[in-house]
Amino acid sequence: MIAIYLCAAIAVYAALRVVTERNTMRKLPFFNVISFAVTAIIVLLLPGPITILAAAAYFVGSTLESNAIASTWAGGMKKP
Amino acid sequence: MTAELYTPEFLIGMVVLIVGTIAVAFPRDNDYLTRLINLEIPGWGLLLVMLHYNEALALFTFAAVSVLSTYIFVRVMQKKEGI
Amino acid sequence: MNDIVMAASLILILIGMTAAILNRDPFDKLISLSILIAGVFPFIIDRGFLDVAIATALIAPLSTIFTLMVCRRVKT
Repeated sequence: MIAIYLCAAIAVYAALRVVTERNTMRKLPFFNVISFAVTAIIVLLLPGPITILAAAAYFVGSTLESNAIASTWAGGMKKP
Repeated sequence: MTAELYTPEFLIGMVVLIVGTIAVAFPRDNDYLTRLINLEIPGWGLLLVMLHYNEALALFTFAAVSVLSTYIFVRVMQKKEGI
Repeated sequence: MNDIVMAASLILILIGMTAAILNRDPFDKLISLSILIAGVFPFIIDRGFLDVAIATALIAPLSTIFTLMVCRRVKT
């Protein structure tokens, strides 16, 4: 039971760090930390085989979103 | 309708819905992009309110239609601004 | 759901909503919106709608990617 409390504390701390950070590029690693913590909360709330599938889907989606934001900020696909 | 009236999903969903609607109506920058990003906040609030009433099919349909309407708004903005 | 986990999810939702409204840069707004989406998911899992959670987790990044087609980098 102590693991889910630790994950919740990590998620709140990372959210506060994202809000107080000034640079846009430095926000993205802390957003990845929130993604890991929420994935662990999803798995630990309702243990079961389909919950692992839901956590994997959320993890893939969140990582894709973060990479899309970083790629667009860094210049994106140049039109020829 | 349900046994318990004030679940936390309902309360936080109503707060997100009302504050997000005010933010869409009066944005800080009077811009298309700011208004489009603010439009996604009441969508998630409405999803939380729907979660209170245990309607799975409504959640599926709303999630699909929300992405479709976002794509249509993006196409309209691209045609209008000529990007 | 425990009270502490529920309080953490509520704090995530409130922080994400406030930061998404008050920021001016579009990329900061999108990152704050992602924090709000991360706070919504434990509520969906706690009700037992696992299929809805899978569908929403795969659909929500598509909305962000469609919005990023309009965003361009303003400075430098």
